[in-house]
Amino acid sequence: MPRSDILNGILSFRVWGTLGWHDIKQRYRRSVLGPLWFTLSTAIMACVLGALYSTILNQPVSQYLPFLAAGLVVWQFISASVLEGCTVFIVSGALIKQINLPLTIHVCRVVWRNFIILLHSIPIVVLSLLIFGVLPNHGFFLLPIGLFLLLINAVWVSVALGILCSRYRDVLPIVSNLLQIAFFLTPVMWSPEILKDRSWIAEFNPLYHLIQIVRAPILSEIIPLKSWFWAIGMVVFGFIFSQYLMNRFRNRVAYWL
Amino acid sequence: MLHIGFKIMKTIISAHNLVIEFPIFENSHRSLKKAVINISTGGRIGNLVNRHPFVTALEDINFTLEEGSRVGILGHNGSGKTTLLRVLSGIYAPVKGKLVVRGKVASLLDLSMGLDPDATGFENIYLRGILDGLRPSRIRSKIDEIADFTDLGEYLNLPVRTYSSGMMLRLAFAISTSVEADILIMDEWLSVGDQAFSAKASQRLEELVGRSSILVIASHDQHLISRICNRKIQLEHGRITSDEYVRFDHA
Repeated sequence: MPRSDILNGILSFRVWGTLGWHDIKQRYRRSVLGPLWFTLSTAIMACVLGALYSTILNQPVSQYLPFLAAGLVVWQFISASVLEGCTVFIVSGALIKQINLPLTIHVCRVVWRNFIILLHSIPIVVLSLLIFGVLPNHGFFLLPIGLFLLLINAVWVSVALGILCSRYRDVLPIVSNLLQIAFFLTPVMWSPEILKDRSWIAEFNPLYHLIQIVRAPILSEIIPLKSWFWAIGMVVFGFIFSQYLMNRFRNRVAYWL
Repeated sequence: MLHIGFKIMKTIISAHNLVIEFPIFENSHRSLKKAVINISTGGRIGNLVNRHPFVTALEDINFTLEEGSRVGILGHNGSGKTTLLRVLSGIYAPVKGKLVVRGKVASLLDLSMGLDPDATGFENIYLRGILDGLRPSRIRSKIDEIADFTDLGEYLNLPVRTYSSGMMLRLAFAISTSVEADILIMDEWLSVGDQAFSAKASQRLEELVGRSSILVIASHDQHLISRICNRKIQLEHGRITSDEYVRFDHA
């Protein structure tokens, strides 16, 4: 293959764009709410957890609820990307064995689909901001850049996990277990200031920085420089790593399915 | 090698010492216990423990197909015909050896490929076009032709899941044969539908074959192969046992 599978896949936006959009349409077709079910469950979770944890953590609900809602929405995207990334090639197996397409197309389809689902949850965040009167300032304009970094990080993570999980089927349960632990370890329900002298738990958590580059602009906070470094650094090293996996194993994936 | 000139690159397929092996993954070969035993014993047995068993599907395959080739692949079940077609379609990369394929390949391996039962007939036509790398404008211009050919009329607005198997085949056939390619790869000659449709389908397929510059078809049907092919390749246990040119028996 003369060019990178990852690059070819990303550039085939017409293919993954159409397929991902079709997936969403299909989800609407036979259920009334379709992906809005995600919105609803996020809303319920934000309300319940917001009421409970603002008391437990002793934080004003007007600050805590928008923080929680934004964090949950981003977390759900990360969690879906990681889990569906693990099975991306296995699920697309029939297609992979019928037509020779860049493997990354299947990855982009999933990321794009989950991004559309993420957009469905935006009203929750906006609503919670409006109710508690958090007004957007100039920091808000960094949101598209933050989202972009989140998306392309999801692409390389899914490529890498997709390849590993096609070969070693034990990786998926390991990853899903780690993900559950990560949810509690990552500042989604609590803010890192609470940790005081143990804030390194958050600082060295890549997921925290990925959430932060999206959550901070939504809450009109400034994205910490550290989070920029982490998010961009992960893109660079992640794509080098995934490209390495692609170079070595791209041609093997069809055999493993 | 240096090629100078303005000539368009020729369509060609060439395989050189091609080998395809499928690994078999069994838990017993990946268990921690074996890994530990491996450490304690080391050496020769260790190698055996680490190496997965594999099935050799194709071995030592050599051929060159040039423009105008009409190749029939013959062989028993499990002789490697379909695997060879998948290799030529670019799905399985050679494990050893070399394969050069120049030209746009269309493969009719599994007709129902990518048919989404919950999507309508029209949507399926569109999705398949996208998968084939066509522009939306190009697909829209083809949709009417495909729809006409299927004779499914209003049914194309319904989910494919509601179709009878015959209707589903008609749709799949019409979509699959609407491709444009230099190299056409087929698993068995497709025959679908009742008599009237079957005649129509046969004609469409022959037109498609006529437009392609290389045809590779796997079949059990000797008569078919002698009718449409000018070269026969016999496979047995993944090896080529005979490779001969034949004259058309113009029927």
